[in-house]
Amino acid sequence: MDRQQTEPRISRWLWTLFFVCALAAIALFFIPAFIIRPFRHQAPHALLLAMALRQRAPLGTLIATLASFVFAFALWRIVGRWRKALLVLALLVVTFSTVMARLNYFEWMFHPIAGAQFIAQSESKLDPKEMIMAVRLGSDARAYPISQMAYHHVLNDVVAGVPIAVTY
Amino acid sequence: MWTRTVNGRALHFYLAGINNQNFLMRDKETGTWWQQITGKAIYGPLQGAALELVLSDELTFGEWRTESPSGQVLAPVAKYTKEYDSNWEPDVAKLPVVISFPSTELKSRDVVIGLTIAGAARAYPWETFAKQSPVLDRVNGTPLLLVLGPDGKSFRVFVSRIDSHDAEFFLQSNSQADASTDKKDWTLLDTLTNSQWNFQGCATSGPAQGKCLDRIPALKDYWFDWRNYHPDTTIYKR
Repeated sequence: MDRQQTEPRISRWLWTLFFVCALAAIALFFIPAFIIRPFRHQAPHALLLAMALRQRAPLGTLIATLASFVFAFALWRIVGRWRKALLVLALLVVTFSTVMARLNYFEWMFHPIAGAQFIAQSESKLDPKEMIMAVRLGSDARAYPISQMAYHHVLNDVVAGVPIAVTY
Repeated sequence: MWTRTVNGRALHFYLAGINNQNFLMRDKETGTWWQQITGKAIYGPLQGAALELVLSDELTFGEWRTESPSGQVLAPVAKYTKEYDSNWEPDVAKLPVVISFPSTELKSRDVVIGLTIAGAARAYPWETFAKQSPVLDRVNGTPLLLVLGPDGKSFRVFVSRIDSHDAEFFLQSNSQADASTDKKDWTLLDTLTNSQWNFQGCATSGPAQGKCLDRIPALKDYWFDWRNYHPDTTIYKR
């Protein structure tokens, strides 16, 4: 077989493989992100899919991205300028997805408390009318102002030796 | 509030998403997904596990302070103080809802006190409760006492039983009249022993002095959220 026929066929295969891998990486991030977005309804089966994909996304995106780069590299030498631009654009979205699959962007909106500090109630400047969540274990009593918990949402605490999760 | 020890291992939770406006958390140790309101593992290696509820209160700081002289308060994180919203209740109420139960008699954003006794769930519309407090009710055979605190904002739920005898409670009339001026006079009376009880559910004088009522965990929640996770819930009416 001469070169004229083989090259387009190889390139077609490379493009197909490239797009399959690129789309896999992109889907692994964007599908769960789209399903689990605020102020929208989450149907039970959609939520399950979102959690399943997000769970697999860190490893899945890594494999799909590495493969995408390999195929893009192979294509690079045989395609023209416009297709190179397409490759670069696709790789940018792929890389973005791979990075985002490892980052918890929910904690960018609602920062967690790293190393919670507690003060004696007599030192607190809280208004007496402010609502708090309170827990008492043994002789230890702790209050978590709702204005703070409504922002942080989760706090891992230990009260009287018992590890507890304060959630709001 | 939940204990976070599962199978002998302390888990560390972080915010991981949202499910119909009730947040999802994951634990750093296994990556399992948990639903905040139920404390249940809904996906991942620990799926099916459930966190144990820790009895907690929603009180005003003023009420808690008088009850807990040696108590500690979570300090605000300086970096985020501008994110803290003391007006969160009316602000959150303005947010859209994504699930609703139009065939029920409550509106999505109506605030309820939700409780579960041996699988039977009941919701007490906050407005009805606040107007009637103390509310006496019976769920699954358990006599209940729901009381609004002297501050008009804190609430607690008790088993209205003294030494295994059902009891009824009412607000001592003079304390009702003085509630706004002298909060210390806030007192409940029971019809069984005629003892005086404070908001912590303990008898301060009378034959039952020193006894305390058993507590029932209860959650202040929006109707749509409570109903979504307790489809068989009944609604308190009177």
